[in-house]
Amino acid sequence: MRVELRDIHKSFGPVRANDGVSLTADAGTIHGILGENGAGKSTLMKVLAGILQPDRGEILLDGAPVRISSPAAAIRLGIGMLQQDPLDFPSLSVLDNFLLGSPGGLVLDRRRARDALRRLGARFAFALDPDARGEDLTVGERQQLEILRLLRLGVRVLILDEPTTAISASQRGQLFAALRAMAADGKVVFFVSHKLEEVQELCDAVTVLRRGRVAGEAAMPAETGRLVQLMFGQEPPRVTRARLPLGPPVLELADVTASDARLTLEHVSLQVRAGEVVGLAGLEGSGQRLFLHACAGLAPVTRGRVRIAGRDLTGRSYAQFLAAGGAYLPAGRLGEGLIPGLTLTEHAALAGRHGTLFVDWRAAARAAARHIGELHIRGTPRTDVQALSGGNQQRALLALLPDHVSVLLMEHPTRGLDLESAEEIWRRLLDRRARGTAIVFSSSDLDELLARSDRILVFSGGRVAGPLDAREATVERLGELIGGKGV
Amino acid sequence: MLGASPVEAYRLIVAGALGQPERVAFVLSAWAPLLLAAAGLLVTFAAGLWNIGVEGQVLLGAVFATGALRALGHLLPPPGAVLLAGLAAVLGGSLWALLAGALRAYGNVNEIFGGLGLNFIAGSLTVYLVLGPWARPGIASTSGTLPFAPSLWLPTIPVPPLEVPGEVFLGIAAMGAVSVALRGTYFGLHLAAIGRSLRAAHLRGIPTTREMLRAFAACGGLAGLAGFVLVTGAHSRHQLFPLISGGDGFLAILVVLLAGRSALACILISGAFAAISMGSLQLPLAMQLDSSMGGVIQSLLVLCAILLRGLRARLVSREG
Amino acid sequence: MWRISAWAIAAALGAVLAAPAPPAPGAGAGLVFGVVLVGPRNDHGWSEAHFIAGQYAEKKVPGARMVYVDNVNPAAKPGVTVPQIVDDMVSKGARLVLTTSDDFKDGTLEAARMHPQLPIINVSGDHAWKAGRDYKAPPNESNFMGRMEYMKMVAGCAAALTTRTGKLGYLGPLVNDETRRLADSAYLGARYCWATYLRKSPASLRFKVTWIGFWFNIPGQTLDPTKVADDFYNTGFDVVISGIDTTEALVEANKLARAGKRVWAVPYDFKGACREAPAVCLGVPYFNWGPAYVKAITLVRDGAYKQYWDWNGPDWKNINDPDTSAVGFERGPALSAAASARLDGLIRGMGAGSIVLWKGPLRLQDGSLYLRAGQVASDQQVWYMPQLLQGMEGPSK
Repeated sequence: MRVELRDIHKSFGPVRANDGVSLTADAGTIHGILGENGAGKSTLMKVLAGILQPDRGEILLDGAPVRISSPAAAIRLGIGMLQQDPLDFPSLSVLDNFLLGSPGGLVLDRRRARDALRRLGARFAFALDPDARGEDLTVGERQQLEILRLLRLGVRVLILDEPTTAISASQRGQLFAALRAMAADGKVVFFVSHKLEEVQELCDAVTVLRRGRVAGEAAMPAETGRLVQLMFGQEPPRVTRARLPLGPPVLELADVTASDARLTLEHVSLQVRAGEVVGLAGLEGSGQRLFLHACAGLAPVTRGRVRIAGRDLTGRSYAQFLAAGGAYLPAGRLGEGLIPGLTLTEHAALAGRHGTLFVDWRAAARAAARHIGELHIRGTPRTDVQALSGGNQQRALLALLPDHVSVLLMEHPTRGLDLESAEEIWRRLLDRRARGTAIVFSSSDLDELLARSDRILVFSGGRVAGPLDAREATVERLGELIGGKGV
Repeated sequence: MLGASPVEAYRLIVAGALGQPERVAFVLSAWAPLLLAAAGLLVTFAAGLWNIGVEGQVLLGAVFATGALRALGHLLPPPGAVLLAGLAAVLGGSLWALLAGALRAYGNVNEIFGGLGLNFIAGSLTVYLVLGPWARPGIASTSGTLPFAPSLWLPTIPVPPLEVPGEVFLGIAAMGAVSVALRGTYFGLHLAAIGRSLRAAHLRGIPTTREMLRAFAACGGLAGLAGFVLVTGAHSRHQLFPLISGGDGFLAILVVLLAGRSALACILISGAFAAISMGSLQLPLAMQLDSSMGGVIQSLLVLCAILLRGLRARLVSREG
Repeated sequence: MWRISAWAIAAALGAVLAAPAPPAPGAGAGLVFGVVLVGPRNDHGWSEAHFIAGQYAEKKVPGARMVYVDNVNPAAKPGVTVPQIVDDMVSKGARLVLTTSDDFKDGTLEAARMHPQLPIINVSGDHAWKAGRDYKAPPNESNFMGRMEYMKMVAGCAAALTTRTGKLGYLGPLVNDETRRLADSAYLGARYCWATYLRKSPASLRFKVTWIGFWFNIPGQTLDPTKVADDFYNTGFDVVISGIDTTEALVEANKLARAGKRVWAVPYDFKGACREAPAVCLGVPYFNWGPAYVKAITLVRDGAYKQYWDWNGPDWKNINDPDTSAVGFERGPALSAAASARLDGLIRGMGAGSIVLWKGPLRLQDGSLYLRAGQVASDQQVWYMPQLLQGMEGPSK
């Protein structure tokens, strides 16, 4: 069966998740859908699986237009989607889960189902005990069960959305082998991922999405650099920046090892000097946040030393990081950076600490008014920060920084902002830099990283590469490092 | 309602609460501990903490006040002994609350469970003291310790035509102080921030653990003062007995929930609760109804209030 | 939004409370008397006996009308004090108030001082006993009590004559002078009948007292009397004499008897108590407060009330006469005819003065001498009973 998507549009409020996406997948192929988080991959696949209805556009199967009004309709047309953590009825047995949704009369034919489960499982080397309880299975085994169930329902188009996030390496091998076998049977497999290596290993063709649009298509194998470029955008025109004279080191990491619940960063060393900008590149969740937290005293450092503005803060608290002139602006502008439910005045009062018992509300209101004026925040001193737009929230966060900051740690300084706001945020940041603040920021926008940084650290699954000199770095090189090659 | 007119029952409660100056004085003395505990809870609620342990903190206040009066009552002039007993009660309540706070801050025990456990321990401690070391000579009864002499009772202050029990002023002052502290001080602002988002407050550089412990201590201190008032109040039993807290802490939680953190609403609602509990004594006297009907009536009011709020929330969300 | 609805609630409550007060109660023609009860008025025990006495007095004294508040204890009515209730009763027109618990002793004294013109009687107290150790009542406060000691002796005798194991349990309330002397009386009665009628050695009779901490069960604050009774029965104590206001011992005995165990109970306080489980009930020593109520009301009605302290005994001619006997013993169906006949002998002997059990030689639990040989205890010695007696098990304080 040949699957064609034509000009699919799907918006959620103001967000255009799919903005005119078209692609074609031929029978007997594994088709990769690649893109950063939020690029629109899942939305597109949910449209194909009948979970979402497109605002516009059409779907053709073997050249015939179809309307897919529900997941059940999709199954009838031979399209099935595997959820990331599939399991409808955890308390039922494997066999009963397998039976769910099968066509047939009122009487369940357990014996035949048992045969079918054994036969199908053997074909893909899935060893599932029909009598085990669903909730006792690993995520990988649940996936296998779900795949078998979908195949028994006659699915000819199988969609997998980030299927490898929670399964073991051996289960991944089994899964990939099964998918190849299905393609050899003439089925179409859509493989959604943000992991370059997996797409390169498995897929016959790939469509790269970026910000809701098709950034490009490629037959596999394709060069990593090309794919990264498609994922993250064209190489930007180099901004020629005046090299500022750098000051003394204000952030020093010597052979630091730190870990949180998910990741461990090992043996990281870095020296950032006053007036320097260091960008942190990498796919989301590759260790950038852990790195920043280790610098700020928010994550335990198990080895090595951390120095801020010349003070050894290894093992010290976040409060001491702040006292040493550090500042941290987290990705969650509301709920991490700003306190939802409090006004700009209240935030101004919190920012200005005077060691007195009573709050000087007049001074706080004046300060809030000053911030609003200076940074063009759309609001009044009495505005609840929840009512501010993302750009205004980021401006407010910048306004609330103390006058003197030695090291500013930031996550995604311009994510979600329009160009003009982003530009203005950077003007403010570079102002600070000119006054001697060192800036370390993470971003998933390679353009921003290359344009704003002096040096770039690249994170990939907890491993750190670099720092690279931003003037010499290229999108290809970054892409390879992000994809985990050459680290 | 059980064969009696509800309107009549309400009328009786009202008359029973406010019909005569003496009755108003009784209502006022029932009101004071409720006010104190509610004032304390305003502090912890501001920080988003559920200080269920308030009941035990009231008990500990009563225990500490009793201990201080027993030890100092005949050593110091009465006003001095009473003053020190008040301070001891604040200390006792604070320590007990800090225990719940420390369990939450360092032991990762939710303050609700910690508080319930500490309530139970406080109750057992009171029974032990009343039956054991502080028992009346030759007597082992849970009915209470030897009552304190009238010189150790809180005075009443004449405000014609009333004789206002002194503890009422304590309650109002506490409510006022809490109100000012929450609005006007950095402590209050920090608690508001913590209550909205613990994570963001921490990242804003607020010493969240310290401020939460302070909130617990403040609430416990005021709850302890409520316990002090239950022992020494002008119309109290002037002794320590098990169940002396009488559910005042839990009732105060209800008050603060209903009042939605407004100190003035707290004052009015707790006053109404005190009036209902005193006024409902009239039910068996005049209507042969069990006076626990007072509790039923109180619950009905609470239910109505909650329904009203739900209805409003629905209307508001529809408009939005 | 929170705030608005909070205000609405507060306003609604305010409106209710601001409603016009009903007219003050008219001073009726009759005499209103108030009764403050520590437990429920239908507890089949102490409080019910008082409630019934109030009804008896309403019948016997024309125009007398009772107002009452029951369940006055910190578990059921937190924050409510005796002076508050007395105040309420006075405003309802009460001209006499009876506070019917030892637990109300302090509150009664306070109320009496607040209302110096009001005749107020604490049942079971001694503040008004001029010859007592704790005389401090103002002139308007009186006390009365019944000489339950005799009936506890009868109860102890019935238990001793019935037990097959020779082990008697006593379910005690809190520990004070009154409860000690009642437990001691039960022991004296049991020992007398054990030795005299059954001709067994007093040393072979076990008599164990367990105190629960209050007159009735308050979960979490007292021992659970149900569990205490069970423990007795399960450790070979086949008769339990109850000293508390409620009937747990009887109820448990009945349960176990149905399961085939041969056990009995002697409840306390209330004449009708045996009706709850006749099959295991040996009888009940009870108070008949009616005559004392009538006396108090009549005194107040006639303007003849003066402070008094009464310790009313049984009418030996008929200990169960409702109009004359302050205490009685109602025999239960489980009492054997032979035992019943021997009880008759004991009662007759006590009435005639030929059997005197508060008589030396008697030693206290710690071995010290309580009564010399031949010495008969004075009222003070009995009332202020310092310990359990030698031969009894269980704490004296």
